[in-house]
Amino acid sequence: MATLGTTARRMPLAVPAGGPRLGRDWRLGYALTLPVVLVIVGLIAFPLGYSVWLSLQDIKLGGQGTFVGAGNYSKILLDSTSRIHDQFWNSVYVTAVYVGGALCGKFILGMTTALILHAQIKARNLWRALLFLPWSIPAIVSSYSWKWIYNDVNGIFNNLLMGYGLIERPILFLADPTLAVWSVLLAVIWQGTPFWTMTFLAGLQAIPHELYEAAEIDGASTAKSFWHITLPNLTSVILVTVMLSAIFTTNSIQYIYILTNGGPGGATETFPLLAISQGLRAYDLGIAAAIPLLFFPMFALFIYVLTKRMLRTES
Amino acid sequence: MAQLTQAARPTTLDRPISIVSWLSRKNRAYYLLGYVLLILLSAWTIFPFYWQIATSVRLDVDLYRPSVTLVPQALTLEHYAKVLTGTSSQFPIQFRNSLYVGLGTTLVAVVFGSMGAYALTRLRFFARAGLARILVYAYLAPASVLFIPLFMLMNSLNLRDNLLGLALTHLTFSVPFATWMLMGYFKTLPIELEEAALVDGAGRLTTLWRIVMPLSAPAIVVVAVFTFTLSWNEFLYALVLIQAKENMTVPVGLTAYVVADVFYWGQMMAAATIMSLPPLLLYFFGQRWVIAGWTAGAVKN
Repeated sequence: MATLGTTARRMPLAVPAGGPRLGRDWRLGYALTLPVVLVIVGLIAFPLGYSVWLSLQDIKLGGQGTFVGAGNYSKILLDSTSRIHDQFWNSVYVTAVYVGGALCGKFILGMTTALILHAQIKARNLWRALLFLPWSIPAIVSSYSWKWIYNDVNGIFNNLLMGYGLIERPILFLADPTLAVWSVLLAVIWQGTPFWTMTFLAGLQAIPHELYEAAEIDGASTAKSFWHITLPNLTSVILVTVMLSAIFTTNSIQYIYILTNGGPGGATETFPLLAISQGLRAYDLGIAAAIPLLFFPMFALFIYVLTKRMLRTES
Repeated sequence: MAQLTQAARPTTLDRPISIVSWLSRKNRAYYLLGYVLLILLSAWTIFPFYWQIATSVRLDVDLYRPSVTLVPQALTLEHYAKVLTGTSSQFPIQFRNSLYVGLGTTLVAVVFGSMGAYALTRLRFFARAGLARILVYAYLAPASVLFIPLFMLMNSLNLRDNLLGLALTHLTFSVPFATWMLMGYFKTLPIELEEAALVDGAGRLTTLWRIVMPLSAPAIVVVAVFTFTLSWNEFLYALVLIQAKENMTVPVGLTAYVVADVFYWGQMMAAATIMSLPPLLLYFFGQRWVIAGWTAGAVKN
């Protein structure tokens, strides 16, 4: 009950304390929230629980499941003779590189873009529209554009490079095992940067102008005021953006699915793609349910911290 | 989320501020660097989009020549014609499917969201604060965990390969999102109008319908635009649930332009360009509406 009390205090709802006219009406309250609750229970909570139940079974699509307890988990995590064990640990590594790389790239480009857009520039609205362009294009559309750009036959990158005589044979941007993940990353960073720019811009605008003026009077350099004023004031924005983006980047599979479909040889197979291939191609639903659940504790931690912050910033 | 909510509204960047600006007075090099970076960054953001459009209006012979030029040699609309009117093209049907799912999802999300948000911001009942918290959890529930059980659920409900089933899965992200966004907005509305209405004998539902909803029109437009776009672009659930070509939504339907290892890039990019239009148009018109709603004054507290 203590948590309920503090949360209520942090969220000043427009209910006057003890107000007679607005306020208590629990029957209507439940009636109006019922649809939302039904969606959450029926389409989110129940499937989550069902997913746990599936992960404890040896079950193929259309077949009868047998309860195996933690069998799927130990097979994935520990059984070094099974193929899924190697595939899973490969996906852990790929997911880490993919998400880590995406976050770094988006942070650098997003911060640069936000700082420039925040400065006094001419025709700001035009620049802003251009720099936010990747966001307004559906991810599925731009993932195909990138696939075409990277294509080894008639792709524009290879055409230009060969046209200028820089390379002799086409570079296999998406089929080369070491290159593929970086090619995918470049496209993913392209698509995801505007979200970071947006949150950084909002954060920059909230920093009082006087701080910079004071620093200028004190003779601080640009680099210094960026380091001592801008970054510290953006800490919470950065934290929230990193966590949100980590969740979104991991879960949005279009780019990898279209560009490489996890290949070549698992070089870009993040765990959602592994789950898809286990569930929908191997029809091994128990394993497919267990894989994302193994990553769930990390998500849960992010979500817990985010929720706390979101509810706090409400006040 | 507060930051998100604010940023989702059009932000004004009029305040003259900051680093590059005052540096520019001291040091022109920084100023120049800023513009050089702007041009480079814009080239980077524009290029894939430009290439998508350019590909969609190129002749096939022009597309598959060994040396492709950056600017199309001759323009053609034949790819668009094939996509839209070709006898075997599924695109029109898939476009309609996407519209059904997107509009249905949006309508349900806005209605459920408004009801829930009103209760959560105006009424007091047991577990209200807990429910508000669960909403955020629900919004962030990862699709990568949910798609397998939702696939099984729809399978057992006989809603696999079915637009209704797909729309139901889209509620998992749209309903919590809409409710949360509208809660944030409802809290900023002046409570006095509603109190006056209640004193005058209006019921709560009347108050919600006649006062809160009209005042919230700008927020509802924003929420509707975002929800529709999320549903329109959604790929994972559509990929997992839908098998028949005539039941596909556009994002999954685009795979039809890949036959074995042959890509019909011209048609693919034409279809992709048409698919990009509804969200773009919505943003364009929605934004004007939102600004109009804000400047109307009634919303200001």
